[in-house]
Amino acid sequence: MTTFIDYLLGGLGSGAIIALMALALVLIWRSTRVVNFAQVGQAMFTTFIALSIQTWTGSWYVALIGALAAGAVLGVIVQYLVLRPVKRSDTSGAIIATFGVLIALQAAAGMIWPGGSQAFPQPFNNSGIEFAGRVWPISIYDFVVIGITALLVLGLTLLFTKTSLGLSMRAAAFNPEVARLSGVRVSRVLTFGWALAGSVGAVAGVLVAPVSTISPNSFDILLVFAFVAAVIGGLDSLIGAISIGVFTGLVISLVSGYSDSGNAPVVALLLLALNLILKPEGIFSHHKARSV
Amino acid sequence: MVNLLRLPGARFLSHLAIVFVIWAALMRINDGIDPLMSYYLALAAMYATAMFGMVILVGLSGQVSLGNGALMAIGGYVFALTSLNWQTVPILGWQWNPIWSMIFAGFGGIAVGLLIGWIGARLRGPYLAGLTLGIAVGIPAIATRFPEIFGGETGLMLTVPYPAGGYAPAAETVTIDEAPLAEVPLEQAPLDEVPLEQAPLEQAPLDTETAGAGDMLTADNFPSAESSPAAGDMLTADNFPSAESSPSALALPSESALPNDIDPTAAGDALLAGSAFVLERWQASLAVTAACIIGFFALNLVRGRQGRIWRAVRDDEVAAAVSGISPAGSKISAFVVSSFFAAIAGAVFAQILSYVGPGAFGLGLSLSLLVGVVLGGRASLGGAIIGGVLLVALPQLVFNIAGDRGWPANVTDNAPNLVYGLLVVLVVLIAPGGILGSLKDGTRRLLAKSRSAK
Amino acid sequence: MLTITDLSVNYGAVQALSSVSIEVPKGEVTAVIGANGAGKSTLMRTLSGLVKPGSGGATVGGVTITGRKPEDIVRLGVSLVPEGRSTIPELTVEENLRLGGLWRDKAERNSTHAQVFDLFPVLAQRRKMRADTLSGGERQQLAIGRALMSDPRVLLLDEPSLGLAPLIVTQILELVSRLARESDLAVLLVEQNAVTALRVATTGVVLNLGKVVMVGSGAEIASDEQLRQAYLGY
Repeated sequence: MTTFIDYLLGGLGSGAIIALMALALVLIWRSTRVVNFAQVGQAMFTTFIALSIQTWTGSWYVALIGALAAGAVLGVIVQYLVLRPVKRSDTSGAIIATFGVLIALQAAAGMIWPGGSQAFPQPFNNSGIEFAGRVWPISIYDFVVIGITALLVLGLTLLFTKTSLGLSMRAAAFNPEVARLSGVRVSRVLTFGWALAGSVGAVAGVLVAPVSTISPNSFDILLVFAFVAAVIGGLDSLIGAISIGVFTGLVISLVSGYSDSGNAPVVALLLLALNLILKPEGIFSHHKARSV
Repeated sequence: MVNLLRLPGARFLSHLAIVFVIWAALMRINDGIDPLMSYYLALAAMYATAMFGMVILVGLSGQVSLGNGALMAIGGYVFALTSLNWQTVPILGWQWNPIWSMIFAGFGGIAVGLLIGWIGARLRGPYLAGLTLGIAVGIPAIATRFPEIFGGETGLMLTVPYPAGGYAPAAETVTIDEAPLAEVPLEQAPLDEVPLEQAPLEQAPLDTETAGAGDMLTADNFPSAESSPAAGDMLTADNFPSAESSPSALALPSESALPNDIDPTAAGDALLAGSAFVLERWQASLAVTAACIIGFFALNLVRGRQGRIWRAVRDDEVAAAVSGISPAGSKISAFVVSSFFAAIAGAVFAQILSYVGPGAFGLGLSLSLLVGVVLGGRASLGGAIIGGVLLVALPQLVFNIAGDRGWPANVTDNAPNLVYGLLVVLVVLIAPGGILGSLKDGTRRLLAKSRSAK
Repeated sequence: MLTITDLSVNYGAVQALSSVSIEVPKGEVTAVIGANGAGKSTLMRTLSGLVKPGSGGATVGGVTITGRKPEDIVRLGVSLVPEGRSTIPELTVEENLRLGGLWRDKAERNSTHAQVFDLFPVLAQRRKMRADTLSGGERQQLAIGRALMSDPRVLLLDEPSLGLAPLIVTQILELVSRLARESDLAVLLVEQNAVTALRVATTGVVLNLGKVVMVGSGAEIASDEQLRQAYLGY
């Protein structure tokens, strides 16, 4: 039982990060009906930028803010140059284009930051906390990660429920035509959504980098986990992305703990397949995923 | 496949004639070019084989798949396991033959295609793309899970069944220094020893590229072994990616221009020496033959009733359903066909590499198939052929330019992928028909212009 | 108030509207009636900016509105209640209303909000509920309320009677006509249900195959037997 709880605790930090990445995917899906498979590529790129900032200034906080800004800018660039010009009818094209962006970003990162995997400095203590006579499998850094995630979720919730911009974003996502007739500048709102998602993804990247390493493709697996979480959560639902994201982190931790970390992608795939067979629209959504 | 029989005989025969002419021409060409070119021909034909399935799945049936590299893995592993473990065909008791392994690989592909198609056919675009992305990462990960069966990260070495009599004379006529190529299979024969001798993965993960494929020409030409299985390994105690992944894990195959440890001219000399067995030439004839057989199947399907069904469902599911077509059935059949093609391509790939391993069939391979078919033209089979050539030629072109300009390694290594990525975006935005589609449009416009000029 | 001059709209080779000219004065309801495919919805979509005109145009108080984006046309005082699903079911009643005037100054917006609640008391009662819990009539009231939140000078109503019980249609249209009189609003009403529309309209315009075939008072059109049979089919 203690091991079980230990594994759960150990999965919280990574669950929070998966949740953030899933959140970024959901933010874009809700508004533009595109799953941005380039999201991890953008996050990887901005994390490299953050690493450069950190090396240059020595401050993790400046690096985090830099990543936030860079994520927003990159999100806007990707939307403006790539996704906006894709015909809305060409859904295959939109998916393929996001993979094109992913491949190009990874190659560009390999050119700009050579040398393969690089370590990202630990901003906080990442060893288990000692408390009540034992070492727990959760660190100060995990708390920072969970705290930042919680703050972001809180901020987004306030944005969506309390502000005019948030209302515009929701209206533009649900029914762009009525939103435009109501005076909402939908294309600007969508661009803002891409910026927001870019920033959220960038935070996820900066948070994950210190506990792994950073290389052009080191976030690929994060894309799979985040996608699994977002889909099971319902793709439309922010709450779904967050809760299933954390859940995915816990499951992965349990699987890695009780068997082998290499089984995690297989388990994630099984979860996804099971979900798509049983309830493809996801747990937190009442929209249809199936077309037939 | 049943629909083949319903085709008017004339069309069937004309397809047969077209494919036969192409096959004969390629085999002839294969005899006249130097071994390195033969090797590239083999790779291009292997890619085209898999991409025939992509054209049907992505282009005709409108389902974006990122998992076809993993489906190739199914074919490759089935080929490897059956040819390694079976001396006779089970139940029937016949003498084992590589053809049997190819057939079983095809069956394996069909079975997995049915399963994925069944789950996937009911899903809309992004869900399906995500599912197949999971498959692209998950299936190679499964291979690493059961090392006693699949050889783990290291993969499995194959004794490639070279044609009877073809190999032995080569060994006699060609001395070892002159033709290291021909000699390779001998070294690789003891399956269990080779991986250990050649810098096992556990010790030097970054060397797997060379370790995995032994001394083969191919050593550098497939996605590095650590790339995709790294996905499996990425979960460290903290559940997050660790250091193993190489900068080019998404890298599309054929990352480097020339095999650095083999002098291609040596094999060329061997050729001049007489009727020597040239490995690359054999690889090319195998891949070209498989591509032509699969291409013939594909041609009949695409231009027949089944092709119309796929297009009808892609264009308007409701309308298709109203006219009595089952959309789900149509989508599943596209998956099964493309999976079958991918498995055959995977079996060919396994023989070209004389190796199967999770790294050879990783996400990089899956993505490169998508890139190839999108660039070539996703709407017709010719696009797959152009895509196959492109996947082999473009990196060479980029490397040549990079070599001439003296770019540093990190730029050179990533340049092909940067070009691929940007081209994919450009094609989607400007020319959704890919190269072939643009050529067709261009000629049509020219024709229209000349007609109106008259 | 709203002046439509020689407006033509093409969908590819099909001409949906040809040289339509209509004057919509303030304080009155002007009804455009016609059968299915007469071009009524095209007219509304063009006036609200969802469709680009081929030639001709429309002005509001002298300012050209055609050719602009919908979000700018709203700001010029032209508000459309589109046909059918014109509320956002996932949002609450209150949010649907707020959406209608987000770009406006907060104090002005709040005062309009209060007026809309006075006009449709049922919306005030259901303000925290999701729009998809409302009845059809309530939803139509919400759609009109949302359009009024932009404090329009011109209100465009596209088939408000669609799918509603006759009694509710009458109530809603009478309310609209009172609104036109009391707030000096120019209302352009598009209806397939000619009888109901002509009852509240000062002026009726008959549209057939994209052309204006008759303009007259509501009573004139309602009493023209031939016209009724030829174009309105009842």
